[in-house]
Amino acid sequence: MPITEAHAGRRYPPCNPYQVSAAKITEFATALGDDNPRYRGDSPIAPPTFAAVVSAHAWDQLFGDPELGLSVDRVVHADQRYTFLRPLRAGDEVIATLSIEKVRIRAGSELVSATVEISDRAAERVCTAQATFVHTREVPA
Amino acid sequence: MKATVVEGVEVGTQLPSLAVRFTRERLVRYAGASTDFNPIHYSEHFARRAGLPDVIAHGMLTMGTALRVVTNWVGDPSRVTSYFVRFTRPVVVPDDADGVEVQFTASVAAIEGSFVTVGIEAICAGQKVLGVARAEVDLGMRVPHLDHES
Repeated sequence: MPITEAHAGRRYPPCNPYQVSAAKITEFATALGDDNPRYRGDSPIAPPTFAAVVSAHAWDQLFGDPELGLSVDRVVHADQRYTFLRPLRAGDEVIATLSIEKVRIRAGSELVSATVEISDRAAERVCTAQATFVHTREVPA
Repeated sequence: MKATVVEGVEVGTQLPSLAVRFTRERLVRYAGASTDFNPIHYSEHFARRAGLPDVIAHGMLTMGTALRVVTNWVGDPSRVTSYFVRFTRPVVVPDDADGVEVQFTASVAAIEGSFVTVGIEAICAGQKVLGVARAEVDLGMRVPHLDHES
């Protein structure tokens, strides 16, 4: 049963808390080739797009939802928006919650827009991540 | 490095540009760091099966790298308040020692109070890979965790 326009509005349960560590921040900054000193030392902040690491767990819920029939290796990222209330920091414990905003069915593909809200343990919003991706349907051989 | 608050900013102000080489090694490193293990970013087999000419860079690697132009300029990454990117063309990364170069340039597109919108361009093999890339930074806000630095 593939994803349909009727899945817009579906909200998944909050993910398990994600612990932001100094080591992971430095690993991520190094992968970006970014030597900004704010990403290093004892109490670093995370690069803004580190939000993608936290969001990944929420995306796993979407791709693991058997009702939608999505396959991660048939997905291409179309656009991405982040709104930051404050930076993620080492020591943060944050929770990601994903909702499907919109589904548009095209010939042979689906355009899916979803939002991930990232909040801290005090339920204060830290970041909102909105993404649109194109999922290509498998053509029966 | 101290927080750099950029003086004399006006619409059209060019930011220092950046050229970055994407290699397979960098893609593997980014996959591990980001936990995005989509095989189109390391396996030619899966990339071709998805209709791509070869392995492509993670869109988020291009997006994250492009923002370095802005964070290098403002110094303090916590000044970034929003960031939007439209991915229009994949960055194809060959399986060799050189990889492929992506050039990032940016300029100030709008100013509203202390909020500055920066438009970024990313060029690979002579073509734009990001249709739109816009970051907003707040140059006026107080940054409490920097107060101990003078």
